[in-house]
Amino acid sequence: MSAWLWLAVGGLGGTAAITRFLLDSAVSTRAGAEFPLGTLAVNLSGALVLGLLDGLAVGGNLLLLAGTATIGSYTTFSTWMLETQRLVEDAEAVRAALNCLLSLAAGVGAALIGRAIGLSL
Amino acid sequence: MSAEFLRLTTYFGERDRAGEALLADRLLDIYEAERLQASVLLRGIEGFGRPHQLHTERLLSLSEDLPLVATAVDRRERIEAALARVLEIKRRGLVTLERARVLDGETAAPVPGGVGEEAKLTIHLGRRERVAGRPAYAAVTDLLRRHGLAGATVLLGVDGTRHGRRARARFFARNADVPVVVVAVGSGALVADALAALRGLLEDPLLTLERVRVCKRDGERLATPQALPSRDERGFQMWQKLTVYTSHASTHDGRPLHAALVRRLRASSAAGATSLCGIWGFHGDHEPHGDRLLQLRRHVPVVTTVIDTPAGAARSFEIIDELTAERGLVTSEMVPALGVFGDGERPHHLPLASHGG
Repeated sequence: MSAWLWLAVGGLGGTAAITRFLLDSAVSTRAGAEFPLGTLAVNLSGALVLGLLDGLAVGGNLLLLAGTATIGSYTTFSTWMLETQRLVEDAEAVRAALNCLLSLAAGVGAALIGRAIGLSL
Repeated sequence: MSAEFLRLTTYFGERDRAGEALLADRLLDIYEAERLQASVLLRGIEGFGRPHQLHTERLLSLSEDLPLVATAVDRRERIEAALARVLEIKRRGLVTLERARVLDGETAAPVPGGVGEEAKLTIHLGRRERVAGRPAYAAVTDLLRRHGLAGATVLLGVDGTRHGRRARARFFARNADVPVVVVAVGSGALVADALAALRGLLEDPLLTLERVRVCKRDGERLATPQALPSRDERGFQMWQKLTVYTSHASTHDGRPLHAALVRRLRASSAAGATSLCGIWGFHGDHEPHGDRLLQLRRHVPVVTTVIDTPAGAARSFEIIDELTAERGLVTSEMVPALGVFGDGERPHHLPLASHGG
């Protein structure tokens, strides 16, 4: 792999992390702190785009840049887990379970829809 | 009434800057330079201020700028010298002055008198300070409970001064001298007894005393906040502070009481609220509680503060009263001076209002 490719991975990854922060904050600020909707929005949109890339049969360096670097930095498993743990800590067992199940079900759904869109293009 | 001692408290955000430096560092540098007797910087877990923007540790993206509270107590002239420097800073947030009293080693303990008058006692300790083979804060909390006080909460400072000496928490360090404060509330007579016992327990006690009113204890309504006019006889504006002591484990509508309270207050016209998380403490007739390792739920005490005009505080008290129907200790205090920073504005001086001696 060339040095330029590594630089592009870093640049795209950084940009994706900033985008995630902006989207998460914008959603959380509007939706309030009742439920981690910001993280959900980030992860679902990420799953949709990654599904789309897969449907489009993107491969090689382009998949590395768009998939691993960009979507990999954009979505966040750790935030999802931390916010679920905080809900448990706050005695909000129902919301904690909902946060897990909703992310899983809607996440798989988003990847599926993205892939279907990609295949039909 | 000429106040001999004052408490200077500033409320702001973790990311707020004063020029090149972080505001928190700048404030504590001032307190260190002025060699203030007792000061401490505390980190909040949730809160909102004038822009009504909620900050909470519950969501990662909303926890980048948690509320901070820096408070300092000393003689009036020393606090006024520090205040003059604090007021020069262009920033946002709130600053208040309250009447207090510092009691070091020998000073006699004049406790606010009068029927129904209660006192708030703050004990400034070091993080690793020990007495009789156990953490000093735990020994102090037990002593306060034995003396029948209404509640005590241990708050972990991250920076501050004790007897004028600065100690700031660092990542890889023992942080033995970093201040920890125990905030306790009780009737004047009980506090006086506790004070005498504390002098026997602690080697070099640094204590501050303020006048409060206990409004609620364990759901029982004992009094309403003092009915204050908006201005005193000289026309100086007056403010009021309501403090709610709860446990992280007590809930309202399925969420922690303090979180429910901050939400309800934010949805109302309340000027602002800040929740601080303690590490140990009790309120009402409960055993002292804190966190254990690897537990699912948190059991630490939480202190939520609301500062507003007397009319605003009266409205907020109705919300607090409703949510603390079963649990919680609620106190009210008069705040004789307050200034708001923001939008390029800053207060130039803070006149102290007086009410009823």
